[in-house]
Amino acid sequence: MARSLKKGIPHVALLGYLVVVLFPFLFVLFSSVKKDNNAIALNPFGIPKEFVFNNYVEAWVNAKISTYFFNSLYISVLSSVVSILLASMFAFAVTRMRQGKWNKILFSLVLIGMLIPNNALMLPIYTIVRKLHILNTHWALIIPYIANAIPFTIIILAAFMRSLPGEIEEAAVVDGLKAPGIFARIIVPLTVPAMVTVFIVNFLGNWNEFLLANYFLSNDELRTLPVGMVQFRDQYQMNYAQMSAGIVYSVLPVVIIYAILQEKIIEGVTAGSVKG
Amino acid sequence: MNKSLRNPLVFTLFILPALLLFLIFFIYPIFSSLYYSLTSWNGVSDTVKFTGLNNFEKALGDDRFWISVKNNGWFILFSVFIQVPLIVLFSLLIANVKKLKGLYKTAVFMPSIMSTAVIGILWGFIYEPNIGLFNKVLGVVGIEPVYWLSDERFAMLSILITNAWQWTGFYIVMVLAAILSIPGELDEAAAIDGATGFQRATRITLPLIVPIISVVIMLSIAGAMKAADIVIVMTKGGPAGSTEVMATYMIKYAITNFKYGYGNAIAVLIFMFTLVVTALYQLLFARRNERIEY
Repeated sequence: MARSLKKGIPHVALLGYLVVVLFPFLFVLFSSVKKDNNAIALNPFGIPKEFVFNNYVEAWVNAKISTYFFNSLYISVLSSVVSILLASMFAFAVTRMRQGKWNKILFSLVLIGMLIPNNALMLPIYTIVRKLHILNTHWALIIPYIANAIPFTIIILAAFMRSLPGEIEEAAVVDGLKAPGIFARIIVPLTVPAMVTVFIVNFLGNWNEFLLANYFLSNDELRTLPVGMVQFRDQYQMNYAQMSAGIVYSVLPVVIIYAILQEKIIEGVTAGSVKG
Repeated sequence: MNKSLRNPLVFTLFILPALLLFLIFFIYPIFSSLYYSLTSWNGVSDTVKFTGLNNFEKALGDDRFWISVKNNGWFILFSVFIQVPLIVLFSLLIANVKKLKGLYKTAVFMPSIMSTAVIGILWGFIYEPNIGLFNKVLGVVGIEPVYWLSDERFAMLSILITNAWQWTGFYIVMVLAAILSIPGELDEAAAIDGATGFQRATRITLPLIVPIISVVIMLSIAGAMKAADIVIVMTKGGPAGSTEVMATYMIKYAITNFKYGYGNAIAVLIFMFTLVVTALYQLLFARRNERIEY
């Protein structure tokens, strides 16, 4: 009896923490199908008495969540793919090609990028983007997102490529492949697992980014989901049921990705931060 | 056979795109910030007037700037003295339970993968004075509604709680990974010697995870120094500037008020303060950070 009681105490504490983590989500989920503020106020904790799914339709159509959603989706995917492409070329060159000390110098230079608090660089980047005449276009986000992900992506991919055995190139050279061929046909296919991890981490970072997205775009049609949501809240301040539906839209894709890939996400995110 | 892997032209073509982006978006901005911090410029006109250290003098004499510094300080203190002990406690608890370990680990991490902006909105709803969750809970015990985000006394605390809610699980998973990589024999040997669970946690596990705790503290400090989006979304720096942090103050000046030079001076100060705080921490606490061998 005393033994099982002792075993139970940690679970009580942990389940308490779990409730603190999960209850806000549940609160929003329930609120999103309640009729109006009154229904939320009368019954803030419980399951709704009647389910009003119209909130989701209203949020998706009238509040243009659909527009923001697809903006976010394509900006995040494009930026993540391009940064992986460029970073893997760089990582291949400095880990597998033979350029003596240059390999080390270039790699260390990029490492510095992990130490720089990046939102202190926001103002100069704003100026660069304006000088390139891409302010208020999607490129104003895509290019900085690509650049921003490069140090982390290079570090993870380089670590992975270094661990591949050296005989691979020897065999490939005997078969008549040149460096680009070795990269495209041998190293990249072998690096796919690491690329998947890095892709997810970069994708989540871009999907969630707020500061640049908020200040570099002023055209409503171009906005991304986090910025669109903040705007939506400011406009519909009084309609908490619809706002909750909007929150569900922006959280749901991330939760689904996380549910499927949580091991890889945790691994990737923590790897990056420990090294940073 | 090495010739094709030594081809300097191919090497250059492979590194160039990433390197260029890195130089343009990381290295150049640092120097650009330093330069413009010494000027009075509105960010758009053709004339850039060099004003030496004026901006820095102005910032150091600016009360509102110091409020923002103090608020970054609150972020640091809250994470080091409230979050870190909780992180260590919960990591130890999760490491030592057998059932539901996977569930705890997966669930606690979830808030960390979400957009800070959306979390700000979600918690704004929770803090809502009339229908929000917090006041409803307090109402059950008979406490009058509190205006969490619009009362100067509570606004900063409300933001800190939300920030902790978002990031605690992230660090728990890091610390947990370190605990689980400690060889089990150490713990078993101590158990055979009759050490209780509590003794094993404090005498064996805890000393072995000091390095990772140190990393967590460093990361929290870095995170505290760049906090911005959560403040912008939840309070926009208000009420009456009471929740302004350095980064939001920087943005407000440079982009909203067209004081680009002054904004860059604040950016440089963020850099310098971060350096000083992390260096101080390293000097005072992380010296004995020798590598641990099992």
